[in-house]
Amino acid sequence: MIGFIARRLAAGVVLLAGISALAFFLLYLGSGNIARKILGEGATPQAIAQENRRLGLDQSLPAQFGHWAAGALRGNFGVSWFSGQPVMQAITSRLAVTLSLVICAVLLAAVLSVVLGVLAATRRGSVDRVTQLLSLLGHAIPGFLIAVFLVLVFALNLHWFKPTGYVPFTTSLAGWASSVTLPVIALCLGSVAGVTQQIRGGIIDALRDDYVRTLRSRGLSERRIVLKHVLRNTAGPALAILAVQFVGLLGGVVIIEQVFAIPGIGQVAVQAATQGDIPLVMGLVVAVAVIVIIFNLLVDLAQGWLNPKVRLS
Amino acid sequence: MRLPKAAAVSAALAALAITGCTSYASTGGAAGTGASAGSSGQLVLGDPLAPTTYQAAGMNWGNQSVYAQAVYDTLLRQAPDGTDVQPGLATSWTYNSGRTVLTLTLRQGVTFTDGTKFTAAVAAQNLLRFKNGTSPQRAKVAGMTAAKAVNDTTLQIDLSQPDPAFLVYLAQAAGLEESPKAFQNTDVATNPVGSGPYVLDAGQTVVGTSYVYTRNPHYWDAAAVRYSKLEINVYTDPTSEVNALRGGQLNAAVLIDNSTVPQVQAAGFTAHPNPLNMAGIMLFDRGGTVNKALRDVRVRQAINYAIDKPAFLKTVALGYGQLDGNIFRPGSVAYDQSLNDAYPYDPAKARALLAQAGYPNGFTLVMPTSSAFGTALPPLIQQQLGAVGIHVSFTNVGQNLLPDVLAGQYAASYFTLQEDPNPYQVIDFMLAPHATWNPFHYQDPTADALIQQARTGSTAQQAQALQKLNQYVVGQAWFAKWYTVDNDFVTDKNTNVTIEADNAYPSLWDIVPAS
Repeated sequence: MIGFIARRLAAGVVLLAGISALAFFLLYLGSGNIARKILGEGATPQAIAQENRRLGLDQSLPAQFGHWAAGALRGNFGVSWFSGQPVMQAITSRLAVTLSLVICAVLLAAVLSVVLGVLAATRRGSVDRVTQLLSLLGHAIPGFLIAVFLVLVFALNLHWFKPTGYVPFTTSLAGWASSVTLPVIALCLGSVAGVTQQIRGGIIDALRDDYVRTLRSRGLSERRIVLKHVLRNTAGPALAILAVQFVGLLGGVVIIEQVFAIPGIGQVAVQAATQGDIPLVMGLVVAVAVIVIIFNLLVDLAQGWLNPKVRLS
Repeated sequence: MRLPKAAAVSAALAALAITGCTSYASTGGAAGTGASAGSSGQLVLGDPLAPTTYQAAGMNWGNQSVYAQAVYDTLLRQAPDGTDVQPGLATSWTYNSGRTVLTLTLRQGVTFTDGTKFTAAVAAQNLLRFKNGTSPQRAKVAGMTAAKAVNDTTLQIDLSQPDPAFLVYLAQAAGLEESPKAFQNTDVATNPVGSGPYVLDAGQTVVGTSYVYTRNPHYWDAAAVRYSKLEINVYTDPTSEVNALRGGQLNAAVLIDNSTVPQVQAAGFTAHPNPLNMAGIMLFDRGGTVNKALRDVRVRQAINYAIDKPAFLKTVALGYGQLDGNIFRPGSVAYDQSLNDAYPYDPAKARALLAQAGYPNGFTLVMPTSSAFGTALPPLIQQQLGAVGIHVSFTNVGQNLLPDVLAGQYAASYFTLQEDPNPYQVIDFMLAPHATWNPFHYQDPTADALIQQARTGSTAQQAQALQKLNQYVVGQAWFAKWYTVDNDFVTDKNTNVTIEADNAYPSLWDIVPAS
């Protein structure tokens, strides 16, 4: 197990280095005249040249990447070119906001998917048809449309929630819950649709297996068979899909944060990428890559823990 | 064994979630965007832009001015009509007879929030630092050759030539006063030290999203500070901005998109339109450097005649603007009502002018486009100019629109440019050879002579020269102006505002409680 973790972490480091290099070169290819963007329309050619020197943009591309990588290895990701804020500070103050949204969305998606998947697979009939219809709608309707709908109904008409903004957990638990409820619902519905279908299909297949017939012949109740045995067998594939959804949600949260004006990394990622704020974009790329690598490792370990057939030794 | 495993997984994920939720506060960031507007002396504003820096020598103006005015004082303050100035940290000012030496008397008893006293020496340091800094506004003080303290309360500024707009610039970014002790601070970009009415609360601020300020208890003009707390939230998306307004989370905001005016008004807000920007096709290449056809005034006039301006105002600007053919604002001494009808929609005349200029079959005009222009506008331009024989080819330049246009890569481009009420600002901005929006640095002896006369002549001569300059520029079709488009600032029923004619955002001290 330790060897497996070490190998995966080593692969993660290589992956991280590759992603960083690729992102850095792509950003420089598409960023245009950064000094002009920073200084604006009134900047003189002399000011632009001075700004380029200050940012190190007058050096060769490999030299610039080397400079950035040397700083990153020491934990120094530089300063945002457009706000002057240290990149680490900009990311850490926002990453937790985004993670709280995404993790809450994944947890909610997991719970709802299990409930809906089990109901659809065991009840069948109209319950199954309604669940499938809802799954189809969840797939078909984009998250931002759901977000706009939720704001319109629950914030602007019913006044149950505030339409925009974020309240930190430590400021007010109720305020935090209120501020994340609509974004989390908007974010998770697409995931619920996918995972529900996976669980439903897995349970229907498993209920036809020989081991289920054996369990029934032993006199176990259907409820116990589904919840203790069948659900466990379907948990592996569902967990794998949920892991993919987690990565997808880290991307999808960008739009949701825009709609709800939430100060997460999605909002700053859009701004930084649009402006060409390379230090900040690079910091975000590394942060998200690290999260994805660690999350995938945890999912692999969880898979092995839940299912002896894929247990790693 | 199996159920405890599932429970452990759930618990671990829940713990992770809680860690994510709580670590936000531990990093010192706390968004104030959930605050309700207008409660107990609090003012909550919406702004489409965040400040790029809080370093006074690097600050921009326009929509970013409100952030600066919260924490910094300026030497002068702009009058709401945009043509005159009022006392700020300078209480009075005089020019010498040649209008090249400006002497300002400064306010006494002003201290920065770090305890440093404001003096003429500090003001001189700030001005010189601004001139050599990174602010997009620094070109405005390029003509300043010296700034020195005569004594603690007297500041002398030397100019290379008379600049009638210079006092206005001292009421903008160039006049910002920052504590000299903060000049070398490593966090100068995010932790301003000024003498302004508010102090930035770094703990409550999320850079780029929400800026929270508390009242400066030592402010020299305490009566002018009308709120105990100020919050400025950044909205880059029109939908979220409108939702925040309709949800009562903002007292006032600049609207990102004028099409949202009816929705916002229906929610009880009052719209205050400011006809700030001229919209149209800017014909930069009057010398024919990139596109030789534009060297001929008849071609430029043909482009003016080819556009159905009333239809564009209705369809592109949704009626939020005014038809106006002048390059200078109404109310300015340069304004000439008769110029509004200089180029009525007349495709036949446009075709005739093109034929006279040697282009009976038209020509190709390459222009930049970007997502900022929307999807509807480029085809409309192509259709209207195509109808008179001008084939418009658009190149999508993405985020490089501004750099590419200002580098003189395109002969012409659609744009909206600010039309300041002060005519000398318009000259410095888009007419003079060194003007930012004269990217080919086009020089015309007639225009240059009129500009010189407007700078150095008597008051009567100045007015006459400015009017002639306006007529000349319109007649020479330096631009194909369609209309002036509104910049809308909206306020709720608890808030009043006096619009700043010269700026996209009203002055902070002009946003006051309705009661």
